[in-house]
Amino acid sequence: MDHEQALRLVYETIDVVNQQLPASKRLPKSPSTVIAGPGGALDSLGVVTFVITLEDKVGEAVGASVQLLERDVLGEGSPLTTVAALTEFVAAAGQS
Amino acid sequence: MSQPERLFFIADFNIETLARYVANSALVGCETAVAPSGPVMPSLAAGPPGEGRAEWSAVVWTRPEAVIETFRRALAFEAIKEHDALEEVRVYAAAIAQFASRARYVLLPTWVVPPFERGWGMLDYRPGVGITHLLARMNLALADALRDHPTVFQLDAGRWLSAAGPRGWSQKLWYATKSPFAQAVIEQVAADIVAAVNGIAGRARRVVVVDLDDVLWGGLVGEVGWTALNLGGHDHVGEAFADFQRGLKALTARGVQLAIVSKNDEATALEAIDRHPEMQLRRGDFAAWRINWEDKAQNVVALLEELNLGAESAVFIDDSAIERARVRDAVPGILVPDWPDDPTRFREALSSLRCFDSPFLTAEDRGRTTMLAAERARRSGLAAAANLEDWLQTLDIKLHVEPLSGVNLDRATQLFNKTNQMTIATRRLTKPELEAWAAALGHSLLTFRVADRFGDSGLTGIVGLRFDGPDGTVAHLVDFLWSCRVAGRNVEDAMLNVAVTHCRAHGASTLRVEVTPTARNKPCVDFFQRSGLRPVGDHVFEWDTSQPYRCPPWVTVTGETARPSTSSGRAGLAH
Repeated sequence: MDHEQALRLVYETIDVVNQQLPASKRLPKSPSTVIAGPGGALDSLGVVTFVITLEDKVGEAVGASVQLLERDVLGEGSPLTTVAALTEFVAAAGQS
Repeated sequence: MSQPERLFFIADFNIETLARYVANSALVGCETAVAPSGPVMPSLAAGPPGEGRAEWSAVVWTRPEAVIETFRRALAFEAIKEHDALEEVRVYAAAIAQFASRARYVLLPTWVVPPFERGWGMLDYRPGVGITHLLARMNLALADALRDHPTVFQLDAGRWLSAAGPRGWSQKLWYATKSPFAQAVIEQVAADIVAAVNGIAGRARRVVVVDLDDVLWGGLVGEVGWTALNLGGHDHVGEAFADFQRGLKALTARGVQLAIVSKNDEATALEAIDRHPEMQLRRGDFAAWRINWEDKAQNVVALLEELNLGAESAVFIDDSAIERARVRDAVPGILVPDWPDDPTRFREALSSLRCFDSPFLTAEDRGRTTMLAAERARRSGLAAAANLEDWLQTLDIKLHVEPLSGVNLDRATQLFNKTNQMTIATRRLTKPELEAWAAALGHSLLTFRVADRFGDSGLTGIVGLRFDGPDGTVAHLVDFLWSCRVAGRNVEDAMLNVAVTHCRAHGASTLRVEVTPTARNKPCVDFFQRSGLRPVGDHVFEWDTSQPYRCPPWVTVTGETARPSTSSGRAGLAH
């Protein structure tokens, strides 16, 4: 999966999760947006919903099951920290 | 005025995702609260939040295996007795009923099991064995047990799962969040909640305005003539157009009116409607039409004026994206659904619209098509009459007055909640709230049925009075509303005459009217400004009840409240 496609899927997931957030807390569609961890707008339910929604989208795009939730999504080095990091991770996962 | 929406979510799974979606996307501005997830019985016993009665509505969503122990055992293929499960359902229904008595209304999704759950396979619908059969019996038993609770509405959760498809239910979500429902299901549920909220608030759409060419039939009638239109017959697209017409006709049985706005030659189009053998809709099925070459948006506005309906009551269906955009922009409030290009999807698109949901179905809804035919007959009589009063004299209008009762409560509540134009207060009350208001000490609530020589328009007016002041000597006209269905016949003058008579009979010397202007009720404001009542403030009027208010000579008033009552300063619900 190329970077552009991965970024599109991440942004589509942001669209989904934003529907559950008040306007003032919605995630901007930007590479620097923090998704999880310090400075992130999502609580634990939001993070899990985000990850599973993204898994579904990536899985549909590549025609195979992709596991993101098994990672420590809130821990140090998590690919979920920012949109940019997550996009890289998704692009790589989509190629494997 | 309508109350702010407050929704309380109770579930034995994590319903937070749905509550967040409703509050932030589906019903923005709605206040939500979520009960602690887990067993629902304590939450039901505790009632909705807040101290005020019935300020909150609720969504109560449970998993059948969580609230019906016998069903949990059935899911594990244990031998169970159906009777035991149904007895548990009755206990659960009693808890719902008790909770509902403290809520405005309760939305109750039906019980479902995961789509992958196959139960006993080929035996699963066999009575006494199958899990699917047992679940169906449980859902029906719940519906039966709650049938006399008018503020409880069961919503079909099975339809949400079907619409969402195979990805709607996620076991991973269930294990990770204790909610199995993916976004596709959440959107379906929220859309049905919005439809229910709108329906209960009287915001159901009441007229569908359709185009003709490539909407009701295939082809341009002005080009090919009515005999060459693609409609019915052995062509699958022609059959789709005919089926779409059947869908529209079925809507009229729900009380929805049909109308036409089309760029065509009127005579040519009407000839097709009258003569094409495969037409499912005929001229008599349409309340009004504008068939000409003028701007469609202007035609829609004029047509709605003729029908005495606001844009918020209308749906506009057109195959042209340009026309849809034009009407959407130029007629604020109208619903213009995106419309499929493929005619074989028209019926599906129509049936999927959630804008017609209503908490009641009354005899007036069922008979609306007949009433429309009568209205057209009246209008043709008006055109032939020398003047308006001569025409009104010929109608033989009868106004029958009845107190609120169990017989007319459904229709009265419906009229109360969907009237926007001809109303002084635009109050919104649920059925139990209206019943309680009418039964309160010092309150009177009168209903009015209107009939004339062309037909019975049904219950089309309501007057609500509150008596206070020393010994109830001042009567406040709290509600005064009448249906656009009887507009133009001076029925409202006769209603005011009855109200004054009623006040005098109950010992009130003054009738006080405070009109609350809204964006929609100018017809009512205008009526009181020219009514002859004495203005005593901004939109406040009074009438000395020792003087009868004029009753139009062409209206005959009948009914028990036409004669003086012996009770003073109090009235209530007649049973």
